[in-house]
Amino acid sequence: MNKRALGGALLLLALCAGQVLGAEKRWVVSEGTTLKKEQSVSAANVADLPVGAELTLVEGEGRWLKVQTGDGKEGWVYAGRVSDTPPVAEVGGGDGLLGDSMQKSQINTAKADSARSVRGLSPETAAYAKQHGTPEALKKELDKILARKVSNNEVKAFLKEGKIGEYAQ
Amino acid sequence: MKVVRLLPLIALSCLVAAQAHAGWQDTINNLMKPDSKEGKILSGATQVLSSSQEMTYQTECTVGESLALDSMQRFGKPVQNEALQKYVNLVGNAVARNSQRSTIPYRFVVLDSPVQNAFAAPGGIVFISRGLLNVLDNEAELAAVLAHEVGHVAGKHALKSIRRAQFLQGASAITAATMKGSKGQQFESMVGDLQNTLFDKGLDQGMEYEADQAALETTYRTGYDPGAMVSVLQKLKKQEATSAKDGSWFSTHPPLDQRIAKLSAQLAKYPSAGSAKLPARFAKYVKPAKSGKASK
Repeated sequence: MNKRALGGALLLLALCAGQVLGAEKRWVVSEGTTLKKEQSVSAANVADLPVGAELTLVEGEGRWLKVQTGDGKEGWVYAGRVSDTPPVAEVGGGDGLLGDSMQKSQINTAKADSARSVRGLSPETAAYAKQHGTPEALKKELDKILARKVSNNEVKAFLKEGKIGEYAQ
Repeated sequence: MKVVRLLPLIALSCLVAAQAHAGWQDTINNLMKPDSKEGKILSGATQVLSSSQEMTYQTECTVGESLALDSMQRFGKPVQNEALQKYVNLVGNAVARNSQRSTIPYRFVVLDSPVQNAFAAPGGIVFISRGLLNVLDNEAELAAVLAHEVGHVAGKHALKSIRRAQFLQGASAITAATMKGSKGQQFESMVGDLQNTLFDKGLDQGMEYEADQAALETTYRTGYDPGAMVSVLQKLKKQEATSAKDGSWFSTHPPLDQRIAKLSAQLAKYPSAGSAKLPARFAKYVKPAKSGKASK
């Protein structure tokens, strides 16, 4: 608990530090975000940016922002992939999250790719369904819902086909 | 616990001290405004802190899956059109990955129900009815509705609405083994309360406005027309007088006029130049569904 509280205090102080220095901060909220050399999705990659990474805004107000990473790398990031507040932290089992890094406290980002998280009903949901006398047909429908695959690459191709966001011309 | 409650005050002190050179009174005032930079930073910080006292993601998924079973029992099974379901999942995931909670898997489901409704189960299963889908005219509007529901998941609104549930007192994990005991009864009671909230009573108005704002922000950042959410609400407004109310968006959401006014006031901050609506791609997947032709 004390460790957790201390971690929280440090986090808040870090947030406030940005205010003290007058630096605008942004946080990566989207998986698969890359820092680009130029303001274009086809530009060379400078670095991969994990969800929760804190960035300092250098310039930009439109669709592309010039930012600096914690380790001093500069480049451009699509504005849709960052937010001016940190992303929601996930709660894992066992002890709380504040003693861990933001990254460790998040659900493993691999799970965000629903193509990699295919499974049937959990034993707990199956037990709930059994007690409720849920029809078998509905259990199968939920199974289908949970198994439906959408990969990050499919989402990217979908956005590209529609010329949406960073793929707009 | 007391220490944790003090932390937001520490943050407040830091913010005030940081701007002591000028405008500190503005900073204090802005902390009370959720839309201000200071308010967002404090809210983000306390969100991270409070999440340490919430149920685990695994338990959240069990709640969501149980609720999904119940919702299909009430509103009907998914539309048997795999191409449509895939399309809605692509649109939904496109906005979800730019939401404030992008690291969990989301599933989007079109239910075969004429009632105009959309709702989100905890853990990331989002439902939209055939009735509501038929009101929409383009992909941006679909993205806005789904982004509104993702906003509820990201804000954990459903879970916050049942925070006093007996199940959540003490150890609040559920297993297949404990489902049969008193913990299981508490779990079932909690899911029942959630059903009542999501399907009949509705969430707090503040949560709905927050989800509307999240929809505006997320659709815009993804690259869709930021005005899409307003146009959806305007279309629903036209249909309100003649639509079924029971279990619909009309009975579970705040008055449409208020929502339209609040969102319209925000729109000036979101330039629509270069944003996508995509009516043709929307029609390609949704029109066959409207006419009842299933493409498997």
